[in-house]
Amino acid sequence: MEATRPLFIPVILGTTRQGRMSLHASRLVTQELSKHPGVESELIDIATLPLPTNNAGEAIKDAGFSAKMDRADALVLVAPEYNHGYSGLLKHVLDSCLMEYIHKAVGIVGVSAGPFGGARVIENLLPVMRELGLVTIFWDVNFSSVRNVFDANGALLDQSYIRRIDKFLKELIWMGKTLRYGREQVALQ
Amino acid sequence: MGSSMMICPRCGVEMNQHAEKLLYEAEAAGAAQVDPYLGGIVEQMHRCPGCGAGASRPEITH
Repeated sequence: MEATRPLFIPVILGTTRQGRMSLHASRLVTQELSKHPGVESELIDIATLPLPTNNAGEAIKDAGFSAKMDRADALVLVAPEYNHGYSGLLKHVLDSCLMEYIHKAVGIVGVSAGPFGGARVIENLLPVMRELGLVTIFWDVNFSSVRNVFDANGALLDQSYIRRIDKFLKELIWMGKTLRYGREQVALQ
Repeated sequence: MGSSMMICPRCGVEMNQHAEKLLYEAEAAGAAQVDPYLGGIVEQMHRCPGCGAGASRPEITH
């Protein structure tokens, strides 16, 4: 079955840090996603979300972010690795929704200054994704030594990433289509 | 499931229940909705096959 509505797959930039190289990775993935027919995407920068930090969870839900998560068929998280973990503000943003995520696909892009390409942050995010009701795919993208991958203007210096991103997105789109069909057509017994 | 179908507020068609989520934090919403065996509220997730809109409601257990 081919869905008539385009898939909506936003890319969440999961850091607010000044000088973040993850911005370049996020833009690249959004650009590559938008090349796929039948897919709409947009970059959601968590630095632009007006969430308070004196409360947490669904009590601080932002209507605009919630609507995008509800509309989404799949998500891409771009997660830089900070001290082997994820950004606290990324978790803060993700926790502001719940029902919006259930039975939707998620792919994670790890970013690190060192050699491991955010492998540890991805592993740390997996149990969080599961509890949020998101369904993880088995492809990741790992931006290792990210300062060597993009120049200061965000231009990609290593074209091999295009092929890796393509494999990652194909899996994510397949999962996004399949889970949309399931959400809308397959009843819980 | 044993409960009536939800109707999409946009399309007016029957929605599909595709999931249940156990919510422990929702106890303040009302003790009557708390499943005594699971210790939380079972929230039913529904999606519209026409437009994709989502909705949820607590499962009525008793």
